[in-house]
This record gives sequence, structure tokens and C-alpha cells, in this order.
Amino acid sequence: MLRGLYTAASGMMAQQKRHDTVTNNIANLNTPGYKAMNAAVRTFPEMLVSAMGGEAVKKGVVGRLATGVFAEENLLSMRQGDLMETNRPQDLALVSDILVEGAVFDASGKYVDPNGNVVYQPQVFFTLQGPNGERLYTRDGSFKSAADGTLVTADGIPVLGDNGQPIVVNGTWEDIRVAPDGTLYSQALNAPLPDTPRLLLTLVNNPNDLLRSGDGRFRYAGDPANIREVQEGDRVQVVQGQLERSNVDAAQSMVDLMSALRLYEANQKVIQTYDTSLGKAVNEIGKI
Amino acid sequence: MNNSMISSAVSIRALQQKLDMLADNVANVNTVGYKRKTSVFEDILTSIQPHEKDFQLAGRRTPPGFTLGWGTRLAGMMLDMTQGSLQETGNRGDVALEGNALFRIGMPDGTEAYTRNGSFQMTPLPDGSTQLVTAGGLPVLDADGNAIIIPQGLRLTIRTDGSMAGEDANGSVVELGQIGLVRTLKPELLQTIGENLYGVSAGMDPAVVVELLPARPEGVSVWQGYTEQSNVNLTNEMAELIAVQRAYQLNTRALSSSDQMMNMANNLRG
Repeated sequence: MLRGLYTAASGMMAQQKRHDTVTNNIANLNTPGYKAMNAAVRTFPEMLVSAMGGEAVKKGVVGRLATGVFAEENLLSMRQGDLMETNRPQDLALVSDILVEGAVFDASGKYVDPNGNVVYQPQVFFTLQGPNGERLYTRDGSFKSAADGTLVTADGIPVLGDNGQPIVVNGTWEDIRVAPDGTLYSQALNAPLPDTPRLLLTLVNNPNDLLRSGDGRFRYAGDPANIREVQEGDRVQVVQGQLERSNVDAAQSMVDLMSALRLYEANQKVIQTYDTSLGKAVNEIGKI
Repeated sequence: MNNSMISSAVSIRALQQKLDMLADNVANVNTVGYKRKTSVFEDILTSIQPHEKDFQLAGRRTPPGFTLGWGTRLAGMMLDMTQGSLQETGNRGDVALEGNALFRIGMPDGTEAYTRNGSFQMTPLPDGSTQLVTAGGLPVLDADGNAIIIPQGLRLTIRTDGSMAGEDANGSVVELGQIGLVRTLKPELLQTIGENLYGVSAGMDPAVVVELLPARPEGVSVWQGYTEQSNVNLTNEMAELIAVQRAYQLNTRALSSSDQMMNMANNLRG
């Protein structure tokens, strides 16, 4: 058949996925802690096309042909979002800029060394305990207190402390100050709370190993050796009373939306052209 | 196809809810004792479209599958309990609170409600004494949970530490107890029940949400003759309104873009 017909159809589907990703980014322009996604489009493996028969054509290889594209993956952009002041004592924001020896990261958190190896900047997250006991990670620090004093996210998932248990605060949060390393202090006593609760901050070496699990939370799907607790000396701090804004760039998203739409249209025109050609082949050339 | 449309439609609805909340705040910019509402957005579920094994090509950075988001939603509305400014009115019935405290009000069904709105009135009772009530006629409670009754001929004075006294024409003073005050432990668990009153939801133990304050509480001052203004700052609300409006606009743009795509697919043939 006409190979190009399926290529163009695959092009339309890939652009549709790109459009969906950008739409979701735009929808989450105001969601605190949201990290924008970028759809990466990849071409299908190429195939070899060879000529068969015909006197004028020398039998042999014509060349390589790629038969389509597909939306391969949705990459997270881990750029630090701006901080927004809310003055709520339970609103926390993470500011992280982890240093890795020998690497100077660009704005998207990637460094390519002279040998061509790619290094991603490690990122730090708050740690939550999911409904089945698994660990979930988030940058969205808009927490609140449950009736029993547990620190929970806006929809009730408990936040873990460095002892692996949810953080419980009896009494009012107005008295609580969170130090930049995550330790909870009582202003009245001018000392840490009993048992020195500290927020569990997790460092993920390669943020691309994270899978979104909805509601602003991530699951870790990589090598257990590449995820650890934040240590002394890591450049990360917890800021109380502020939230990290979404890092979606509205102007860039609009441009991506328009580009996805026009590429969709271009592929549509290609299909229409193939349709006309096939129409001619069937109706006119084959006319008796 | 549907993903873009559903994402935008859902997000537009969430933005509409935020707009409604901002309008509520702005409408109450002059309401005595009003506490503004804030909200938080959250992104909705993410689905991962599975990929065939052959899709795992070299150079792929993330785990297999294509993640799709479905928009945003309003996760919850919370009260911002920042102190409002005090305005002098000179009325004996107006009481303003400074600090983390709420007045106790007795509801008709026997439960308690709480409020910051201190524009109280003194209604005369059949036996000549007067009772301190809210503008809606509900009794203000004292520290023991009883209605505040001022005997005939006495003028009510509420001191800064919350203690109440009645002065008669000769200048002699009768102590009338302490005005009932509670401190909020968890403002996010307070529910607005209308008429500027807050309550605790039915299944919850009130002791978890609010704490009874003792006599002469620290950090709290009671001012008779003043009212506490609403803590809505019009500039901030307008700034948020503009942000919501622009986000709404962007989402409708995405919706119409996805509509155009569906149109193109429909017109592929004829």
C-alpha cells in the first residue's frame, strides 16, 4: 500500500499526544509543586527499501525509510518553581540546587560531559506514605493537620518524618517553626519538639526514574541505590509559609500548542493528498 | 483526542470554583469579623499508557509507558485566620478580638458555634435585665457556657483581659465573670455555617479543633467599643482574580485548539 498514509496517520497521533501534554501543563498553571511535562517524539526504526525487478532499475537497495513517529515518553522538567508567600504555617516549599562534582547543570537540569555521558541533577522531595504503605514523593507542600494531629497533604496522605513514621503535632501549628533542614521547633519552648521530629527529605539521583501517580505525587521506579535521604551538606532548604509555584511557562506552552495543531493539520493534508491519489488510481486509471 | 478536551473542560470548572470563592471574598470586604477563604489546586489522576516491549528503544530515559495527565481540580478551601484591623465605633455592644480567639455562641439545638464577629446587641428580658446576643439573636456565652445576663440598672464593661463587669449609676462595680473564648488549634477543620459563624462538623470532637481559653489568656486582647474589620485585602484578591482570569483564558484556548483538531479529523475525508 502507500506507506506514507500510515506514516502521516502516526504523525497525527504523535502530535495529538503532544497537544494533550501541553494542555495538561496549561491546566496546571496554578497547581503548586507541579512540574511541567515535555513530550518527546521519536521516529520508528528505519527499514530498508529495495527495488524488485524492472529493466531500467538496477536490482538492489534503494535506501532507508522511516515508517512513522510515535510519542515516546513524557519527560519531567524539574526546573525550580518560584516561591509564593501564603503565610500559612503548614505551607512548606523546597528549594533545591544539588551540586554534583564536576557537573555544571543547564536550566533543564542536564549536564553532558566531554565524553558524551549525560548526568541529571538530583532533586529533593517531601516523602509521603501511600495508602498501601509505599513511599510517594512530592514537591507540593500545601499540608494541613488531620483531626488527630498528623501532618497530611490536602487530600489526607500522611507526611513522613525521618524516623519513617508520619509527623504528628499535638496542639496548634501557629507555634511551630520549621527550620531549613526540616526540623520542627516550638516557638514557645524555643527548642525542638519532643523526639525532635524532622521532615523526611528524599534525594533522587535521576529524576527521570520517577513515575507520576497523580495528585501531584511521584513513585520511584528506578534502582534503589539511586535514592537516598538528604544529608548534611546537600544544598536544599525547607521554607515555611511559602509554596512552590508550578514551573509551567505559559508563553512557551501556547507556542507548543499552536505548533502541535499546525503539524496535525500538515499531516492531515498529507493524508488527504494520499486519499486523492488513491482516488485517482481507483477511479480514473483503472477506468474501463 | 478526548484527553485535551477533558483536561481543559475539567480545569475550566476548577477555575470557575476559584472565581466563585474570590467573588465571595470581595463581596465580604466590609463584613465585620469575616475571614477570607483560600484554596489550593491539585493535578488530577495520571494514567500511564502502556507501551509494547518493542517500544523500549535505546536512549529512552524514563520507565516504559506514556504518562497522561487529566487536568486540575480545587483540592480544598481553607480559612485564612489573619488578624483584621480594629475600628473604633464607640458602641458598648461592639467587641473586637485581637489574637487567636473566637467568641462562643449558643445555637438553638444546644451545640456551640464560634465567631469573630463581635457586633453584639443587648436585648431586654422580661424581668428588666439585658442579655448579650449576636445580631441574629443568638446568645453569647461566658467562660462557663452560660448566656450572659446583665442585671437591671448595670452597664456592661468588658475589660481587655476578657473579664466582664457591670457598673451601676453610683459607680459600684459587680463582677460578671469572663467572656467565653476559644483558641483555634486547627483552622482547616472549622466549617462555615453561615451568618459569619463557624462550627465543628458533627462527627468530630470539638476539643481537637478548638481549645477553651482560661481567664486572662495570653496573647489575646478583648476590645469593647471596637469592631474587627474583614481581613480581605482587595489588592491581593484583584491580583488573584487576574491570574485566574488569564488561566481561564489559556484553558479555553487549549479547548478550542483541541476542537479544531477534532474538526480536522472529521474532515479527513470529504
